[in-house]
Amino acid sequence: MECSSCNTAPSRKDRTHTFLLHEPSSCPSCNASLEARVVVRDDQIFYLKHCLACGPSEELVASDAKAYIDAFLARGEVPAGMTGDHLFKHTTSTCPGCLALTPARVIIRAGRVLFLKDCESCGPSEALVSEDAKYYVGAYAFARAGTEPLKFAAEVKHGCPTDCGTCSDHEQHTCLPIVEITDHCNLECPICIVNNQYANHISDEAFAKIVEGMIQNEGQCESLALSGGEPTSHPRLLELIDLASREEIGRVVIITNGLRLGRDRAFAEQLKAKGAYVGLQFDGFTADTHEKIRGRDLCQEKAAALAMLKELEIPTQLIFVAARGVNEHQIGQVVELLLSEDHILSLNFQPAAFTGFGGGNFPHDPLDRLTIPGVIKAIEEQTQGKLRASDFSPLPCSHPQCVSLTYLLRLNDGSHLPFGRFVDFRKHGTLLRSSATLGASPEIHDAMNDVIHDVFAREDEIPRAPEILAALRRSLDVMFPNRRVTPKEAIRLGEQQAKSIFLHHYMDRHDFDLERLRKCCHHYPQVDGRVMPACGFNMFHRGAAKGPSTPLAPWGKAPWTAEPPKVTLPLAQADHAARARLPIVG
Amino acid sequence: MGLLDGRTALVTGGSRGLGRAICLALAREGAKVAFNYARSDPEAGALVETLRQMGAEAWCFKVSVLDKPGLQGMVRDIEARAGTIDILVNNAGVGQVVPLALMEEEDWDRMMNINVKGAFLCSQAVLRGMIQQKRGRILNISSLAGVKMMQAPVHYSAAKAALKGFTEALAKEIGRYGITVNCLAPGVLDDGVSGNLPPAKKDDYLRHCALGRVGSFEEVAEMAAFLVSDRNSYMNGATVVLDGAV
Repeated sequence: MECSSCNTAPSRKDRTHTFLLHEPSSCPSCNASLEARVVVRDDQIFYLKHCLACGPSEELVASDAKAYIDAFLARGEVPAGMTGDHLFKHTTSTCPGCLALTPARVIIRAGRVLFLKDCESCGPSEALVSEDAKYYVGAYAFARAGTEPLKFAAEVKHGCPTDCGTCSDHEQHTCLPIVEITDHCNLECPICIVNNQYANHISDEAFAKIVEGMIQNEGQCESLALSGGEPTSHPRLLELIDLASREEIGRVVIITNGLRLGRDRAFAEQLKAKGAYVGLQFDGFTADTHEKIRGRDLCQEKAAALAMLKELEIPTQLIFVAARGVNEHQIGQVVELLLSEDHILSLNFQPAAFTGFGGGNFPHDPLDRLTIPGVIKAIEEQTQGKLRASDFSPLPCSHPQCVSLTYLLRLNDGSHLPFGRFVDFRKHGTLLRSSATLGASPEIHDAMNDVIHDVFAREDEIPRAPEILAALRRSLDVMFPNRRVTPKEAIRLGEQQAKSIFLHHYMDRHDFDLERLRKCCHHYPQVDGRVMPACGFNMFHRGAAKGPSTPLAPWGKAPWTAEPPKVTLPLAQADHAARARLPIVG
Repeated sequence: MGLLDGRTALVTGGSRGLGRAICLALAREGAKVAFNYARSDPEAGALVETLRQMGAEAWCFKVSVLDKPGLQGMVRDIEARAGTIDILVNNAGVGQVVPLALMEEEDWDRMMNINVKGAFLCSQAVLRGMIQQKRGRILNISSLAGVKMMQAPVHYSAAKAALKGFTEALAKEIGRYGITVNCLAPGVLDDGVSGNLPPAKKDDYLRHCALGRVGSFEEVAEMAAFLVSDRNSYMNGATVVLDGAV
């Protein structure tokens, strides 16, 4: 029988190893200090190294991967009675003052995880990276092998993050390409993580080249996001959507503040007609939250956009940037909104990152900020148990510290139940390989069958098991009909069966972690063919990491330029600086 | 030491004929044996006595293979007594000699229900525990009439062929849980559904059988006992034909 979800697009291969973390090490030839990639291959642990002088090498460090991982996770257990700092591991972060790459000690203090850094120029600094050490340590158990793109956009020359991107040492393909089609915006958001107070719109030709490049690299893309700036201010947005509406691209998502959607019905109808999805920035329900995060009261505009999306049944993702002391009390309310509207397919919480044109200057305390566990805790507290912290799992698609996710199965009575109530994501990791929605792929088919058998076998133990099995049966029937379905249709069929809540913590100069960047899967594709991991691009290439006045890194390059980066330092010096501790200079 | 020491087996249609022989073989190899039956109370009681005299723990249940709640109750009962069900032999079946021209819908449905649907319902009932244990053996008793072109009633051949397909698909589906599903297809035996084969047909069979004789319940039961044992560890989705080489 022919598989209904298969198609002729070339498929990407899994990497031959699973990337776990970075560890300080040294070059076996010249003994230079470097940071090794720790990977699992054939149930053994290897260090993969790249020395700027001697090139790549690898070292077998443990013959029993499970024992190594167990021992690593045990390093995160704080001895009983200990009150000071407990060292968990090391990584490379950035100095919040000068943005130099800086070694960081990852320590556990009072149940939280912090980076301790000591910049030669600026001195010591501390940054909170997780409000829950148990979550942070346990997330490493979710690491899974990444997938290689069909084509790498860059060579390994100077190491991460200089070579972005992405080079063959990058550990994940592009799950979500985000194309910034304009650097113009009709808002000046105090929290903005990009740099968009200009008036440059991407040309059709440049955009088509980017789209073609992504298809060459990836074969097919589940989603392609059009962002900015404010993409609806691009005068040829609809034409760009046409250019992106190709068989190889499952859905085209417009990431928007919704101002135009709410007031321009004809435009909204065009989006609907073109089958576009909308990612709507939606950070709260009150004037004060909008004012603090978006610069002015947007209550009416957001309500109008929501009404339009609902009326036209445009598939929607809500994007909620959550900031400590600003809108965290409205987290539960937005979850309720997700659950109450059929056309809202997913909800993306983004704990605020303090980088970019606005965010770089947004008032914040690097030791008291929202992180993924904090948002999860707020979800549990503010939904009266409808959702629990245990419903969420780190997403192994990216680095497990970057994203957490839960799927909410639509039961046949219209209510929703988190997958975490009946799925052990450690066992059924394939379900988490997808991102915002369940796609009707052969892998998901197998994973769902596994889940069905699992629930069936534990029917006496799992509350509401008969309802769950009935819903999974319906989902299988809908997602895998006895006919050929196109990849686009497969996505649409899948997204009707389950909603998702997705927590994605972008990094900034405080919590930047080179290890996380290594497996980033949200990328900004560029006209010159590079595919830039999001946080690396935001931090080092936009020139706004600390606000508008931040200078570019020597390898930095603005979007839409085809010229190679202008390195102001001698190359050898720049190489060394990139690997060790690079002052970011113009 | 028996092939099946410490294992618990459920044999459907176990009170008489081939099912009885299989129960005896499994018990002899050390298994605890449970079986169900539809009508034969005296035979069922006698078999339980015999099994117990052999030193086996044994239980019988009067429940149809088409009674889903009854089967689920039986499985729970066996699991409560024995802990787990490690082996299921889907033996229950019926035969009927009738040409297609005279075959009623009821004939077709009864044949398909007892021979095929019964195997489905019984397998589903035991699978929950087997998946939890990540271990199990399912053996479906088919027939040579289901795997070779033979002069046999159409509905009977269709039902036995269905069991072969059922075996193969289920083996693929649940192999990941360490559960094997195989099929045993006996040729003509000296009793049971082929016991009253017309002499002309029996002679025809014997002419084509290399061993020149029909088989016995005991010979089939011996093979069944091996097929559901741990010694048979890598066979999955297979149909074993036991026909003396026809």
